[in-house]
Amino acid sequence: MILITGGTGFLGAHLAAHLLEEGDEVILLARSKQGLSAADRVGRLLDWLGVAANRKKNVHLVEGRLEHPGLGLEPDASALISREIDEIVHCASSTSFAERRRAEVEAVNLDGLRHVLDLAERSRCRRFHFISTAYVAGINSGHCLEELVRPAAFTNVYEETKCRAEWLASERCAKAGLRLSIYRPSIVYGHSETGRSLLFNALYYPVRTALFLKNLYETDIRERGGRRAAEMGVRLDGDGWTVMPIRIMAEDGGGINVVPVDFFVRAFGAIRERAVDGGIFHVVNSRRTRIEDIIEYTQALFHIRGIMVFPAQDMEGKPRNALEEVFETYLEAYGPYMRDRRIFGAEKAGPILDDKGIRCPDLTFDIFKRCLDYAVQCGWGTRLFRG
Amino acid sequence: MVKADDDILKTASQCRHYAMCKIDYLGTGLCPPGKRYHYVSYYPQGRMDLYAAMADNLIPVTEGLVHIAETCSLCGVCDLQCHFVTGLRPLKVMKALKDRVEDYLKAGGKPVSIASDEPLRCLRSIVGSEWATNDPAVLVTYANDPFPLADLKMPRYVVLPGTREEVAAVVRLANELGLPYAVRGNGGSVFGFVFSEGIVLDMQRMRGIVIDKDNWSAAVGPGVTSFELQQEAFRHGLRVNTAEPAATVCGNIVCTGTFSTWSYAYGTAADGFIDLEFVDARGQIFRLNDKQAPNVFAFENAVIPAPGICTEASVKLHPTSKDEDGVLVPFWDFDEAVALARELGRRRIGLAVAVLGIHYIANFMSPSKDLAGRLKDVLPETLGIRYVVFAIGDRFARESIQKLAGPVIDSGLWRTLTLGLPRLLDSEWLDLVKGFEAGRPPYEILCRPEMRPLVEAVLRPSPETLAAAVEEDLRELYTGLYSQPRFTDMTWLNMFRILSSRMSRRKHMFAFLVYVPLDRNDVINHINAEFARIAAAQGLDHDFGFLTPMDLGKRAILEYDYYIDHTDPAEREKIGRVLAEIGPWLDGLAERTKGVTFLKYVFSQGCSRKENFLYR
Repeated sequence: MILITGGTGFLGAHLAAHLLEEGDEVILLARSKQGLSAADRVGRLLDWLGVAANRKKNVHLVEGRLEHPGLGLEPDASALISREIDEIVHCASSTSFAERRRAEVEAVNLDGLRHVLDLAERSRCRRFHFISTAYVAGINSGHCLEELVRPAAFTNVYEETKCRAEWLASERCAKAGLRLSIYRPSIVYGHSETGRSLLFNALYYPVRTALFLKNLYETDIRERGGRRAAEMGVRLDGDGWTVMPIRIMAEDGGGINVVPVDFFVRAFGAIRERAVDGGIFHVVNSRRTRIEDIIEYTQALFHIRGIMVFPAQDMEGKPRNALEEVFETYLEAYGPYMRDRRIFGAEKAGPILDDKGIRCPDLTFDIFKRCLDYAVQCGWGTRLFRG
Repeated sequence: MVKADDDILKTASQCRHYAMCKIDYLGTGLCPPGKRYHYVSYYPQGRMDLYAAMADNLIPVTEGLVHIAETCSLCGVCDLQCHFVTGLRPLKVMKALKDRVEDYLKAGGKPVSIASDEPLRCLRSIVGSEWATNDPAVLVTYANDPFPLADLKMPRYVVLPGTREEVAAVVRLANELGLPYAVRGNGGSVFGFVFSEGIVLDMQRMRGIVIDKDNWSAAVGPGVTSFELQQEAFRHGLRVNTAEPAATVCGNIVCTGTFSTWSYAYGTAADGFIDLEFVDARGQIFRLNDKQAPNVFAFENAVIPAPGICTEASVKLHPTSKDEDGVLVPFWDFDEAVALARELGRRRIGLAVAVLGIHYIANFMSPSKDLAGRLKDVLPETLGIRYVVFAIGDRFARESIQKLAGPVIDSGLWRTLTLGLPRLLDSEWLDLVKGFEAGRPPYEILCRPEMRPLVEAVLRPSPETLAAAVEEDLRELYTGLYSQPRFTDMTWLNMFRILSSRMSRRKHMFAFLVYVPLDRNDVINHINAEFARIAAAQGLDHDFGFLTPMDLGKRAILEYDYYIDHTDPAEREKIGRVLAEIGPWLDGLAERTKGVTFLKYVFSQGCSRKENFLYR
């Protein structure tokens, strides 16, 4: 039996569905949230993931809190887990970049891991799968290896805590004789074939912002005389496209490393199967997507013109309007990922994936369209858990 | 008699006795019978109590009750007044009260006539027959407040003196008859202290205000409220340091001394007045400036009686400047907010300063309880705001604050956020704002001047936008109110404090006030943490209230608030346990820590020099 933490999250849910399809029995550690009980949330997720009815009987739900010692489990539940589990897939994570949330992020990403490791040590579990991130590399312009790292600095508290968590997991698992596999995906987006996703941040956010602004100013033009649109230089072209003059700073040669969730799941399955002794594995795309391409896709999909990439030196000292401020603020947070030049080595993961014929698809316009159409259709996730 | 309607009774029982229906703070006019007859029984507050008292069979239908019911014309002024601060709609209670009395009379019931007695005859000979009564319909409205630990204490008489001589004569009569007495400045006391089984003196009729511009002072009668005095000062281009708008000026000075955000510049306690006139316990009149007057400027860390009944206060007036305006500096971290407040104090920047918690901000901005609740979640979660440093100052002060603090919410943005509040809470917009976050909290980008056009495009601030958050039949009235610039003017709002009662919109508020050393964050944090722990242990709602620097940032006054349903017996028990724990803890802390004084001991010593309780 496999214990999955973060089973109601984006990656955890997909991994749970994958393991169930493989015939495994899973225990999901979940909690109630947003007015829905843990059971309701898991039930809805399994339906959303299309888990067959005969597989659902292999799902066991345990309510717990990662931040609490003993995961906040009742003694009976704790004893049951200790007796039954063979592997743990630790997906639960706080992905906040916000420094003001450091305490919460540390509580989940470090204390939470400690509590899961405590459980692992007193159970019959022998394999520990830890879902980390490629960005434990921190602020690093070079080649990133599939090994434990100690970067001098990090872009944010998320990277930092994930890096510390890798060391923690490594030390504790070594002492306890647990085989540890660390999976380091880059930025994960929706399913490349269906476009479906549970999470709409990172890649989705700037696109959503552009669409929000387009809708805002189009409504202003159509219903309120367009004064506010005119202030920002936004107008409608004769063909119905919206012109939004926004300059976005970019640097040559950089891009965003994104992988679709279906690739991540298949990669996880292959590595779990082949690398039984554990190790560290980058689950990344060998090719980056340029920011210019994402802008082009966005404009084509949503009938927008006017968003342009400007070299950083050409923007220096020039005043920004409100729309440019929005994107620039976003780039302050996500710039290191959007203008990334790092090479993530895949010396360990690569051969396994090649051998299994698993290849990460590029983010083409078709895939982008599928994913964004789905995002819009599901209200950027707001409708997934609606009662 | 027909059983009281549960829904109406619930509204009636929720009256907080803030007496906001007794001041014309919205400019909509006052309840006409209240204005004419002065007894609280004739105001919506009293009528709410009367409905509840009838439901509990506490009073019969008396002649007084019939008169009270009949004089209400159901004009509806109370509905907007009360809704604005409490969210309650008292008009249905007013109507139900009238209906009950009418039904009683129609069914052949005779109003009970309460016989006069000798003390009442004596009282009437002093104040006039109209201004003293023993009618239970009046008495019951002076018998309790929404303080869960005080039981109903029915007075025998209520008297409304018109002059200091009448006050003195009533006191002498009470002494002769051996009757206890209590003074209720505006007919309400949220802490439930001011009751008597003998005589209650309501000072409503003594409402004189005389401005002496040359002496920067105002002579104020004991029935004058803070709102009314501020209004008068404002007409002269001046300002007073005032307390809650419906509180009487004299009562407030004598009780705790006036403290507010303006105490930052104007001080508190004896700083606020030039002279006071009292009627002492023997019925003798004296002024503080008499050489033989008792020394009320000293302070004793104990609960002691007031020096007498204040019959006039000569209150200090302060100059204003045309370029005064407000500014808010948002913070995630409490210590950083306190550090800024302290720094402003040390540098003497600004006129009014306070660190405010989000419960305050959310309620000040929101015209409805629901909106306030949502905003209270959104401020920290999405915008990264847990505290704000609020300041009023001239343009030099505001520029300095901006230089010291960085991103600020200026008056323009405040107006935009307030009038666009329902759209600020739109989930799509909030998701977008959340995405701004990384190393810096999202509010920073909202505060940038370059962002203003976008924020305005999204929020489309207008009185109509804000009014959409209240019940449909009130929207036009709210639109009218918020079309007036003063309703979003931080300086005006802070001078008149009309929003402060919104703090209790959700539940009755129990405010704990402590003077603290402002350079001791450890002490301040300990106090906040203990208040939080004690409340949490009892399952009570609680929140940090405010912290106002005083005396050049050396000391401060801290408020921590508990919220209870005063009609729930279980909450009554909880607050009892809480009080039993808080008293000894704060006493011990005050004994060990210089600069800590529990406001409980300043009650009735509001005339003392602040130095005597701040630097013990």
